Amino acid sequence: MRGGVSAQIRVIVALTLRESRMTFGTSHAGYLWAVIQPLLSISVLVGIFYVIGRQSPYGTSLALFFASGVLTLELFNRLSGTLLRAYVANRQLLYYPAIRETDALFARLLLVVLTYLVIFTLFFGGLVLFGLAEMPREPDTMIAAFAATTLLGLGVGSVHAMLMRVTPIWAHVEMVIGRPLFFLSGVFYIPSQMPPEVIEVLQWNPVLHLIEWMREGYYTHYASDVFDPLYPVAIALVLLAIGLGSERMTRRWRAA
Amino acid sequence: MIALDQVSKSYFVKGVHKVVLDEVSFQLPERKNVALMGRNGAGKSTLLRLIAGTEMPTQGEIVREERVSWPMGFSGGFNGNMTGVENIRFVARIYGQPSEEVLERVEAFAELGPSLDLPIATYSSGMKARLAFGLSLAIDFDTYLIDEITAVGDQRFKLKSRAALGKAVETSRVVMVSHSPSVVKDFCEVGVLLYEGQLYYYDQIDNLLADYRRFC
Repeated sequence: MRGGVSAQIRVIVALTLRESRMTFGTSHAGYLWAVIQPLLSISVLVGIFYVIGRQSPYGTSLALFFASGVLTLELFNRLSGTLLRAYVANRQLLYYPAIRETDALFARLLLVVLTYLVIFTLFFGGLVLFGLAEMPREPDTMIAAFAATTLLGLGVGSVHAMLMRVTPIWAHVEMVIGRPLFFLSGVFYIPSQMPPEVIEVLQWNPVLHLIEWMREGYYTHYASDVFDPLYPVAIALVLLAIGLGSERMTRRWRAA
Repeated sequence: MIALDQVSKSYFVKGVHKVVLDEVSFQLPERKNVALMGRNGAGKSTLLRLIAGTEMPTQGEIVREERVSWPMGFSGGFNGNMTGVENIRFVARIYGQPSEEVLERVEAFAELGPSLDLPIATYSSGMKARLAFGLSLAIDFDTYLIDEITAVGDQRFKLKSRAALGKAVETSRVVMVSHSPSVVKDFCEVGVLLYEGQLYYYDQIDNLLADYRRFC
């Protein structure tokens, strides 16, 4: 018999611990590496732009402008790529009736979100500490942007996870979809300064809105012309309904 | 209480439509140990998974108003990269039972010693079976679902698991799939035969065994 919400939370916590052990190993060094690796890769990207002499498109700190874009994009990408395999990689868990398949989805979500909370805090904190950035103007807006990014990642990931069950080739499709986001999401330019015909196309990308959202929170006068908070949230909710709904509807026809 | 209400279960395996249950309503007798028999491939294991809740019926509902175990099989739902101890802790956690207590009980039963700290992937099938069986019994359930598990392991383990099962039967009950008349006679009071999508109930094990011999 299932004990309702508290039992479900217990299962998700147990699964999160299990996922963290599988991803990072038993040592603390493993978790440290999970935080250091994105920190390093972002630092390298910032370093390259610095060396080729690029000015920051906005504000005085290239590192801050870049980080606000890359970190948000990375959070989304990581969720999309991790949730993709939530169902196919956890089939053995279905041995235990206390676990629902969607629990594995939420456990992976929780682990990525916790990891990226640490990464965001360390990176922005480090920039402020080394005088490379001001304090953020509206931390609560940044938290809203983080939450919206999580929601979109969950929506996209829940659909990916279902499609992964249809064909393993979907893992490659997910990568093909994800690659151009680095160029289409305003990571290293200000979308509002693009020609109108470019904006016309770019504004359909929900990840771009999330990055604009993050910058609206950090900078004092960012004032994006493109940003609409409802758009990424609406897309996220529609995808989430499709992802979780299709999982629920096909449950009766699946053989474990 | 465990009851099936208008339950159908069918699925497609590589385009072949397989019917396991066809509109079956059935209530398992309370507090009785039940033997579940049937032909190979009739769907006994699927029926256990339906009762456990690891699989959902295609139609109908399954009512489960007690703590039912997962279907105890040979290998368990272990993760090969995790150690025995980690797997035990994980299962104790999802069932909300104190990890240390469960760990002690499994250690005492499975006799795996220091191997418990090794990844499951290094275990032999006999060791895995011992761990799986010990872990199921270390967690308190009202009904234990058992899938042919008494048939594995060396002589010593067979005797031990029979003794442990005998002890579990004192406070809980079992629903077991078995092809062995002696096992069925030892542990079960009533029987169910799964035959061509229907369940047939026997309040005498001897009648079950007679029909099993005739039809399966």
